[in-house]
Amino acid sequence: MTIHVYAGLKDYFLPEFELTEEVGNIDQLRACLLAINEQAAKLLAACRFAVADGFVDSTYKFKAHEIVIVVPPSSGG
Amino acid sequence: MRSSSSFHPVAEGREGAPDGAVKGVVDRPIDLVGLLAAGHHPAAGAVVLFSGEVRESNLGRAVAYLEFEAHVPLAEKMISEILIEAKAKWRLSVAIAQHRIGRVGIGETAVVVITASPHRNEAYNANRHIIDRIKHEAPIWKCEHYQDGTKEWGNNCNCQAVTGDMMKHIYETER
Repeated sequence: MTIHVYAGLKDYFLPEFELTEEVGNIDQLRACLLAINEQAAKLLAACRFAVADGFVDSTYKFKAHEIVIVVPPSSGG
Repeated sequence: MRSSSSFHPVAEGREGAPDGAVKGVVDRPIDLVGLLAAGHHPAAGAVVLFSGEVRESNLGRAVAYLEFEAHVPLAEKMISEILIEAKAKWRLSVAIAQHRIGRVGIGETAVVVITASPHRNEAYNANRHIIDRIKHEAPIWKCEHYQDGTKEWGNNCNCQAVTGDMMKHIYETER
């Protein structure tokens, strides 16, 4: 699984990195990311997740080798 | 046959989008005058233009410039969907929105929304709705670069602290 992070998340993670762990859903992904850097906990709690240019919710099951976008709270405008 | 939100030739492919529409995200200065020209429509008696511009201070701190980042494909898709929904809801003649990414200087436009409708009420209301949704929902982020050399990522949307749901925003219950 490839993870892409943006904005403030780049203070905690590389902009793009591979996860070798088996991650089935968003809860597991959050736990995995927290294990990498627990200081990102507050921001991760407010993040949305997207795959293939569409947002996914907590019921979504990740596929193998999927590219996952971790989307911090928007702050455009 | 392609349908267009605007009759004005300036709107036709000026940003090079495959369908001729105005691009939702650009990495260069926004052409306010050109986009406003695309906002005119023979059925519209009202055209509203909102320009979100960079202030010289934020919470009392002197700002040097802002830097915007986006997930461009997703941001453009969301902006397009927001415009389509607003156009249908308020029966707009024209709906245009464009956000700039990269470094944006003081006084420069970071985002523009243009709405046109037969009467002003719909154009005003739709414009406010569109900019609220772009600011809160589109995957676009700003980083404030201050005169003292520090920087800070913006965090405008904390709606979930109030609504309890990160997909529910405060403005949805304001009107």
